[in-house]
Amino acid sequence: MSSIIPIEHSLILAFLLFFIGAAGVLIRRNLITVLMSIELMLNSANLLFVAASRQVGNVDGQVMMSFVVVIAACEAAIGLAMVIAIFRRYGNIKTEFLRALRG
Amino acid sequence: MIWMVLAFPLLGALLNGFLLPRRSKFLSHGVAVAAVGSAFLCACSVFLDFFAARRPQLHFGFEWLRAGKFVAPFELAVDQLSGLMILIITGIGTLIHIYAGGYMKEEETTYRFFAYLNLFIFMMLLLVLGNNLLVMFVGWEGVGLCSYLLIGYWFQEEANAKAGMKAFLVNRIGDIGFLIGIFLTFRHFGTVSFTELSSWINLMTTLPDPYPKAIFWITLSFFIGACGKSAQLPLYVWLPDAMAGPTPVSALIHAATMVTAGIFMMTRMSFFYYAAPDTMLIVAFVGAFTALFAATIALVQTDIKKVLAYSTVSQLGYMVLACGVGAFDAGVFHLLTHACFKALLFLGAGSVIFAMHHEQDMRRMGGLRKHLPITHAVMLIGVLAIIGVPGFSGFFSKDEILWKAFIFPTYGPILWGVGFLAAGCTAFYMVRLLCLTFYGPSYQDPHAHHHHHEPHETPWYMWAPLVILAFLSVAVGYLGVPDFLAHLVGGRNLFASYLEGLVYIPTSARSAWTHLHAEHAHSLEWGLMLTSVAWVTLAAGTAVFCYVNRPVRGIAGFLGAHFPRVHQLLLDKYRVDECYQQKIVTPLAEISTFLWQLFDVRILNGCVNWVGYLLMGTSGIASFRMTGSLHRYGFWVLAGTVGILVFSCF
Repeated sequence: MSSIIPIEHSLILAFLLFFIGAAGVLIRRNLITVLMSIELMLNSANLLFVAASRQVGNVDGQVMMSFVVVIAACEAAIGLAMVIAIFRRYGNIKTEFLRALRG
Repeated sequence: MIWMVLAFPLLGALLNGFLLPRRSKFLSHGVAVAAVGSAFLCACSVFLDFFAARRPQLHFGFEWLRAGKFVAPFELAVDQLSGLMILIITGIGTLIHIYAGGYMKEEETTYRFFAYLNLFIFMMLLLVLGNNLLVMFVGWEGVGLCSYLLIGYWFQEEANAKAGMKAFLVNRIGDIGFLIGIFLTFRHFGTVSFTELSSWINLMTTLPDPYPKAIFWITLSFFIGACGKSAQLPLYVWLPDAMAGPTPVSALIHAATMVTAGIFMMTRMSFFYYAAPDTMLIVAFVGAFTALFAATIALVQTDIKKVLAYSTVSQLGYMVLACGVGAFDAGVFHLLTHACFKALLFLGAGSVIFAMHHEQDMRRMGGLRKHLPITHAVMLIGVLAIIGVPGFSGFFSKDEILWKAFIFPTYGPILWGVGFLAAGCTAFYMVRLLCLTFYGPSYQDPHAHHHHHEPHETPWYMWAPLVILAFLSVAVGYLGVPDFLAHLVGGRNLFASYLEGLVYIPTSARSAWTHLHAEHAHSLEWGLMLTSVAWVTLAAGTAVFCYVNRPVRGIAGFLGAHFPRVHQLLLDKYRVDECYQQKIVTPLAEISTFLWQLFDVRILNGCVNWVGYLLMGTSGIASFRMTGSLHRYGFWVLAGTVGILVFSCF
């Protein structure tokens, strides 16, 4: 292999992705965008796993990454179903309308 | 080769059920007939191999189940009994498949019909070939399933769907008996393989202490299973209703093959039954009374298929009676002859129904001899065979059973008498069926103007199977000519000697069955035979006198008019169905409704709902700090995580 990407690059990219995702979850008001941001955070974790696996030299991290991808798919399916249910019930998917827990 | 016998019908079912295009009726019929026909040729080859070697053959497939000490291989056995059965199933099956193509010509979904029918053949073959109780049970359940599917083939009408369900549920009661039998067998003998069980029983000169009792319960459980499948009292109620299915189905499943599975199963385990004389007495009485009970109902039925259905129940009663008195060979022989002539009668009735445009009420028939000459001829042979006219197959098999019942030491003459009465009823109702359908003035319903076209003979591929079956109905009788008649021409009972290797009395039980091989005066046998011939002639003559040209007058009309309550009771089939409905079904439904309303709706749902209400009501107390803003929650989750991380790292 000609050029090995240094692990620092992967780390920096993963941190960036994570904080973009976290910011999206905290700031955006659209539930679908929030879900997409969560996916972003999950993928930053995946990136870390793969990078670490490469660094350490075994495939455990890649195995874990595969699990995370599968679970992320399930989460997306359920999350979208819930978004649809919320839309049916409240008529929109803005987060500020979801205040049933307010004391 | 034996695997091919099984593979062809399964392949046919899969092709028709899933793979082939569904539009072409010709294709689905052709595939189904080819599948069963090939299976028949393979079965012939298997049978000839076995017959040449004269030794039971075991074919090990694979190890199917193993759990601790419990082993159930998928193993097939070809011996005298299963060799004969696969010939009956595939042979008569092929004829009926050919016939069904014509009968089902107007149906839209023939692929479905033939897929079920092929699947049935496969399951029935599995039932008879399996060398252990578990493989047999798979076939046993499989034929029940196919029976359910085919009874309810015209499920668009609710009555048909209900008849299918009734058959399935009543059979479940029997199946539970079968299952308990399997459990008990394994518990006491540690195996479910027929060969092992049989050698175990045969090795014992006397049964050690707990076994006689265990065998009593085992045989009784299996007999309950046989009562379900073979439609004996008190579980016979599903068979008359099963006539809701198409007529070829009635011929194949509910006359020739599936309903004889109970008799087959008892014969398979004859070593057990010989070792349990108490069960045998119960079996004999149930059989004899079923024979009479069903025959009396058949006397007054007006639906042509219902008459044949009750007649089947009655004939099965004879077979069970034969098993009960230890004459398993006579039972199996009657199974063989009955398969031929009852399939013939059903298919003949099917031709009549087909020609009459799905009219089944015999009161609207009559004079069909002119229109359906071939059907009339073969039906006449079938009727002569079933009522036991000398020279036809039913004569040899039924008389053999009655004779064996007569020499049975406990209550033998009573059993014989009951069977004897039933034989007279059989003669009466079968001749009545023939007269009402084929002779006398042709009756036309004055209100039915819509079908004025004359009934006419069916196409060749429908009557050709009938002719073959008619030939068999006469011919197979000569395989089992009773010894005392066969000795006159220097022969012997071929059928009994054929089965000899399979049905034999274990040493431990030999003392209870000495009468079977005892010498009896031939004059007694002659006397009984002549008596029953005279009795049958009398009953048949009465029926001719009552019904030819005079459909509802004569002695039968006289009796019907003067004993209206008896007549009505018979018409209502002894009101057994109503009794079951009132005493069992309705209370069960009421209890279930009560439990559903109380436990399901009130208690279970109630508990869950109340937990929910409770939480919704009280959670406000705890949630006064809550803002309800998702973003704020998210922020604190993130901040907390970062905080913990920072704290734990430094």
